[in-house]
Amino acid sequence: MTDAAHEAGDDQLAAPGRPVAITPGQAALSGLRHPLVGILLLIGLCSAISGKPLDGVLMATVAVLLAWDAARARLRGWPGAQGAYTAATAPPRQNFTAPGGRVGTQWRPVRLLGPAAGVVAAVLYATIVGDFSRYSWPVTIAIVALGCLMVAIAWQGPIRSRRVLTGRPLRRAWLWAVVLVSGGCWELSSLLQQPHLTTDSAAHPTISALSDPVLASHPGRTVFLSGWLLMGWFLAGR
Amino acid sequence: MTSRELTIGGYLTVLAACVVLQIAAVRRPERLPSLGRVFTHVMRTRTGRVGVLVAWAWLGLHFFAK
Repeated sequence: MTDAAHEAGDDQLAAPGRPVAITPGQAALSGLRHPLVGILLLIGLCSAISGKPLDGVLMATVAVLLAWDAARARLRGWPGAQGAYTAATAPPRQNFTAPGGRVGTQWRPVRLLGPAAGVVAAVLYATIVGDFSRYSWPVTIAIVALGCLMVAIAWQGPIRSRRVLTGRPLRRAWLWAVVLVSGGCWELSSLLQQPHLTTDSAAHPTISALSDPVLASHPGRTVFLSGWLLMGWFLAGR
Repeated sequence: MTSRELTIGGYLTVLAACVVLQIAAVRRPERLPSLGRVFTHVMRTRTGRVGVLVAWAWLGLHFFAK
């Protein structure tokens, strides 16, 4: 089955070249019923009612864009429709790799220049943004701008090709799911044991509550932002 | 052990489990995927890629933004 079919959630799309006759309404519904769209809309709603309207608007915007993209892919109804990128099939975007990256030593300075510039930019970003107070407009604009940029990059497809996970390692990926979901449930249980959703509990601290003392200082915010940027760089390279 | 210590112990246990899994994956990649390979798998479609990057952006928003 193609990823276009996966995205649209319709097995009939798996047949190459098979004409698909659906109405725009059906296509819109197929986009809306994608699990991630529902999750993002739920996060957006919860964020908005817990006093974070900007988070809510951004999550809802991405959810609508994903639903629109899935609906568009279904309307096209042919394998390889835009949005069907996979690590195995999508060509890496050459503009993100050094020219002649696999050629001997002559391009080595060029290959090092990009990462070095990225590190400098990241350190500058973390230092400058870390100097702003939490929950202020300057830090909000800086975080939103970078977040939107990264999501836009992710939308275009993978930066580079990577080996596809298959066989025994794929079958054992559930171990990671168990650990990560357990962590999420533990955090959620702490959150629900607070006296109020917006009031921290000393007996059942969430990760946010535990990080507050660290984020109270400029060095702490800079280190935390550096870690966040590092995580973004790691994810963008997947 | 207080509730606070138990709660923090839970977070540390999850962190330790991640470290153990990652070390095991690096030592025996033919048996267990590393976290990076799992993310590569999850992010093989546009929806997966955008979803993971939105989760990352949400972390920044959650800790810093209005």
